[in-house]
Amino acid sequence: MGTHLSEIFSQSLTAREQLKTKLGVLELNTPLTVASGTFDLENLEFFDPSCLGAFVCKTITKEPQKGNPQPRLYETEAGLLNSIGLQNPGLDLFIAEKLPKYREVLEMPLIVSFSGSSIDEFAEILMRLEACSGISGYEVNISCPNVENEGIAFGISEEIVYKLVQRLSSMTERELCIKLSPNVTDIAAIAQAAEAAGASSIALINTLYGMAIDYQTGVSRIKKGIAGYSGIGIKPTALALTYKTAQAVKIPILAMGGIYSWQDALEFIWAGASAIAIGTANFVNPLSAFEIIMGLGEYLLARNLKLQDIKGGVTI
Amino acid sequence: MNNPQYRQRAIQAREELTDDYFILWIWDEAWGAAVRPGQFFEIRALASLEDAQVAGHIPKLFKPISIYDNQGGRIGFMIKNVGKGTNALSKLRAGDMLELLGPAGNGFPVYRGKHALLISGGIGYPPMWYLQKELINHNQVYWMHGGATQGDTFPCDEIFTEDGSIGKKGRVCDGLKENIAKYDIDIVYSCGPLPMLAAATAITQELAIEHYASLEAYMACGIGVCYGCVIPVGSALNWDYLRVCKEGPVFKAEEVRWELI
Repeated sequence: MGTHLSEIFSQSLTAREQLKTKLGVLELNTPLTVASGTFDLENLEFFDPSCLGAFVCKTITKEPQKGNPQPRLYETEAGLLNSIGLQNPGLDLFIAEKLPKYREVLEMPLIVSFSGSSIDEFAEILMRLEACSGISGYEVNISCPNVENEGIAFGISEEIVYKLVQRLSSMTERELCIKLSPNVTDIAAIAQAAEAAGASSIALINTLYGMAIDYQTGVSRIKKGIAGYSGIGIKPTALALTYKTAQAVKIPILAMGGIYSWQDALEFIWAGASAIAIGTANFVNPLSAFEIIMGLGEYLLARNLKLQDIKGGVTI
Repeated sequence: MNNPQYRQRAIQAREELTDDYFILWIWDEAWGAAVRPGQFFEIRALASLEDAQVAGHIPKLFKPISIYDNQGGRIGFMIKNVGKGTNALSKLRAGDMLELLGPAGNGFPVYRGKHALLISGGIGYPPMWYLQKELINHNQVYWMHGGATQGDTFPCDEIFTEDGSIGKKGRVCDGLKENIAKYDIDIVYSCGPLPMLAAATAITQELAIEHYASLEAYMACGIGVCYGCVIPVGSALNWDYLRVCKEGPVFKAEEVRWELI
């Protein structure tokens, strides 16, 4: 187990205050969360869970998903390709088995990530989750195909995002965070549509498209061909899209994409993020959450700054 | 089962085997008391990960390596240098630090009073060494091992090489059916390349012999979180993708849908 945060910061009672942030309706003790699908209760063995301001679970869908065939993973020169296919036990099992465990173990806010194949299905999932206690907010994964719209991903159309978010925001008082795909022409316009429809925060970015081929045999490294690309190689793109979106919306941004170190995290906060999430870094370094929060805390303390003081303060 | 733990440990000793194979030994008494044959660790050379920007290099994933031996806490990892990750491990010497996540996965079931046959291919050898140590006092054990050439073979009861450079010429499964009959085998344990495991399963299924196979997979997290390492397990009509790192790496061989891998 990592050293307890309170011991590290025992010299200054203000450290906690300096790391506090807001994500929409949620007050977070630290700006650090985890990217959906990269972190679960197993990871809490590796460091003090109080490093995390919130816990985001793996995306759930209404029905169980078998997931994609193997191979699902390939580590590239700079980052990771994945093609998991949203494998999950479905909403019923999530509510019956996973959620009670989260309620029992987690001391930080739980944000449930979910996805659907139609607006009605999104709404139905939200309605079921609204009836459950122990959930502080939702991360709506809209990078999935829409059966009502020729299978094109929800997240690429401003109109569809608006309709979807309007429907969902009318149903909940909890945090409603819309997770955007970077694989669009204008992410800021999509974010504005989500904001106008009542989203209380924006999460970005989901994975980029990525691919790898065995040059000797010509065989794709991933069974489905095109995969999601995450990790250190996507950091500049994620940073640019965070900056662009922060210029366009007033609601807070939960930024992610290639954050491995506390310096990376600071860059995203300068760019306009209110909170950050670590994803692939959880695989590469099981202690990354701990190390990032320590580094951020020390940086802020040494300069007597709060996160709020530097958020969006990038000099161009 | 307890969740895997993260620790950093110094390499106590490094042992050279044949060209591409070597053993790294660490010492951890608590892990020595906890681990079982067939389990594995995610391991990596200690990297300056806390500061990727300053270190100026891109940290890579851990590699899953099965436990070769456990002498009351002196834990050995027998490794074959096959790719980037294992190549980095191959450069390590005694005194260098390892990062470890584990023990991960479920091991082989260990019974008493059985006639057990162990069958391994290539780098499928290491977990069998630990397994036979646990079996040998209470079971009759016969161990067959196969490799491409002499450099891929290690001590056991019967050796096969594809080039005939040592032992019998051919593949290790060539001798399986005969040995099951000859030694009155009632349980088979296997570890090796997928085609070898599938071929061994076809034989044990035909003879209705209990068979546990240990599988290898590309992994990201190694602790059951990312669902990257799954294989299809169940009946032909009703199977699910199970995690090699969590539900495995040891599976009942007849439940693995080899035809779908």
